[in-house]
Amino acid sequence: MRYPKTIVTILCLGILCTGWIQMGNYFRPTPIRFQVPKGWPQPLYNFKENPLTKEGIELGRQLFYDTRLSKDGSISCGTCHQQFGAFNTYDHNLSHGFNNSLTTRNAPGLFNLAWQKEFMWDGGINHLDLQPLAPITAENEMAESLAHVIQKLEKEKEYRKLFKAAFGDEAINTQRMTKALSQFLLTLVSSNSKYDRVKMGLDTFILPEKLGYEIFQKKCVSCHTEPFFTDFSYRNIGIPVDPFLKDLGRMKITGESKDSLKFRVPSLRNVMRTFPYGHDGRFFSVLSVMEHYRKNMVLSPTTDSLLKSRLSLSNFEIGQLTAFLYTLTDSSFLSNPAFAAPGKGISTTAPVDIHNN
Amino acid sequence: MMVSAQKKQVLTIWFENRFGKERLIPEQTFYLNGTDTLVINRFKYYVSHIQLTNTAGKTIVPENQYYLIDIADEKSTSVQITVPEGSYTGIQFLLGVDSSRNVSGVQTGALDPLNGMFWTWNSGYIMAKMEGTASSSMIAGKQFTYHIGGFRQHQQTARNIRLQTTPFHTSVTIVADAEKWLEGISIAKEPVCHSPGTLAVRIADNYSKMFSISVKE
Ligand code: HEC
Ligand code: HEC
Repeated sequence: MRYPKTIVTILCLGILCTGWIQMGNYFRPTPIRFQVPKGWPQPLYNFKENPLTKEGIELGRQLFYDTRLSKDGSISCGTCHQQFGAFNTYDHNLSHGFNNSLTTRNAPGLFNLAWQKEFMWDGGINHLDLQPLAPITAENEMAESLAHVIQKLEKEKEYRKLFKAAFGDEAINTQRMTKALSQFLLTLVSSNSKYDRVKMGLDTFILPEKLGYEIFQKKCVSCHTEPFFTDFSYRNIGIPVDPFLKDLGRMKITGESKDSLKFRVPSLRNVMRTFPYGHDGRFFSVLSVMEHYRKNMVLSPTTDSLLKSRLSLSNFEIGQLTAFLYTLTDSSFLSNPAFAAPGKGISTTAPVDIHNN
Repeated sequence: MMVSAQKKQVLTIWFENRFGKERLIPEQTFYLNGTDTLVINRFKYYVSHIQLTNTAGKTIVPENQYYLIDIADEKSTSVQITVPEGSYTGIQFLLGVDSSRNVSGVQTGALDPLNGMFWTWNSGYIMAKMEGTASSSMIAGKQFTYHIGGFRQHQQTARNIRLQTTPFHTSVTIVADAEKWLEGISIAKEPVCHSPGTLAVRIADNYSKMFSISVKE
């Protein structure tokens, strides 16, 4: 006579469970595994503290493209970080912020951030989750207060739903918002350029690309180290200080004069799309960067020891190097619809020039 | 001795903020060195890692919490912790936020960056903040603003505070004297501190001496 009892118990439990699920207590976001490209080191981002989920990434994408994160609702992260330019500000030396202001530095492309320990040209930000706080609160970017952003999000039913789907309940706070943004940013992995396919034996360089790669390995790779095309160090390559911006780079963070005019070595992945170049965007083409390395460098006590006698580059070598740099363009990354603004298809044309409208 | 059998009690720590001998009230005028007139609008600091020493000399380490003491928020100026029942003669805490929380992303509660105690362009907490106006200041609005932070080597501004007194049981009052911040600091010459560095460290050394203890039960 024990079975009926058991059956009743199971039934009751079943009813309780469905009730619980219907009440909306059921929380199981869809985990997403972070794919490490073949041959790459393990990422530095601590995924245990912020496990990737489909819902978290989607929320992050909504936030990234939401202009409500700015004071007057005119600027989103995506305004300054455009997919067409590998998430730099396409064709802009400096970016436009709130109320016709300008940023003081060039917006770098955003990709492979999971392997990056510090952020910004001077490495001032020490965690990816902290990065959004800077543009949101900066007067020359989004000019908004964090408390106000949270209030605006809390008002939207859609956001309460998205936060619940990602984190289990409707609470919205700075930590959840920035974790969601990080989840989206972490998915921006660029590892499918021609160079990568050649490395995997799936494609071959044509002669100029091959020669360019050889020159690159001799003259550039000690700083623009594979596979990220940066060693993430801070170096002075002899770019003289701009008299108006007076940007001392890494020294602003460490306070040490040995770090004067040092900036993080930028990745060269997608470099043909990320012009203008340099921390303040003063170089409008790769050719002008090359001219800098061979002719225009201004040597100072903190100039990198590898560059003390500048870089000798012949016109021929520059041609081959440029051919190689083209192989670092990852068109599947630049046109991946998963990274585009939600609801909008990916645009394959260059963004409209905001100076002209 | 059976630890599990030990009874617990609540200990209230009051933070009484003063300027010299007077109570620190926002917008009220104070005199510095007999010549300078001072008004303080903001005065906030983090307290964490509170520990107690009992009369037997044993150190009690309650679970760590972070508190933001703020003269503009009456509630924030008393802190309650649960400790074993007993009699205490020493209290220690960290004025500021430990290095590990400065490098672990976005935190919640008192440490939420929306409290305005976080530098976004150079990651790290502002351990303590004092803002106001002074007749000796020569910048716009006669202001002075001291945002003190920095956790890296040579820039550390969190300070360990150790205070001793006669035995207390359920409550203790810690006096914080804002005037101590300004020892050897010239508001005329150094009206602003907004980044880690030598001025921040000098002021941190000053505020490490601002606390004293008084027992009222
Ligand atoms: C007004 C333009 C602007 C807006 C809006 C903006 N950014 Fe940026 N972003 C920049 C600039 C400029 C830099 C480089 C700043 C520096 O190095 O000092 C940057 C740097 C970054 C970096 C660091 C990249 C690296 O390699 O170190 C990340 C990540 C980033 N932004 C994400 C975001 C997110 C997320 C948002 C939205 C919350 C956002 N940005 C909004 C202009 C902007
Ligand atoms: C000593 C280290 C070092 C060497 C060697 C070096 N670079 Fe750089 N490179 C840097 C740093 C640092 C920057 C950023 C400097 C700045 O903006 O202040 C940079 C910037 C660049 C940029 C601009 C990228 C952008 O997104 O802004 C290009 C292009 C570039 N380098 C190409 C090369 C090539 C090609 C070579 C070899 C011929 C080379 N570099 C050698 C350190 C180096």
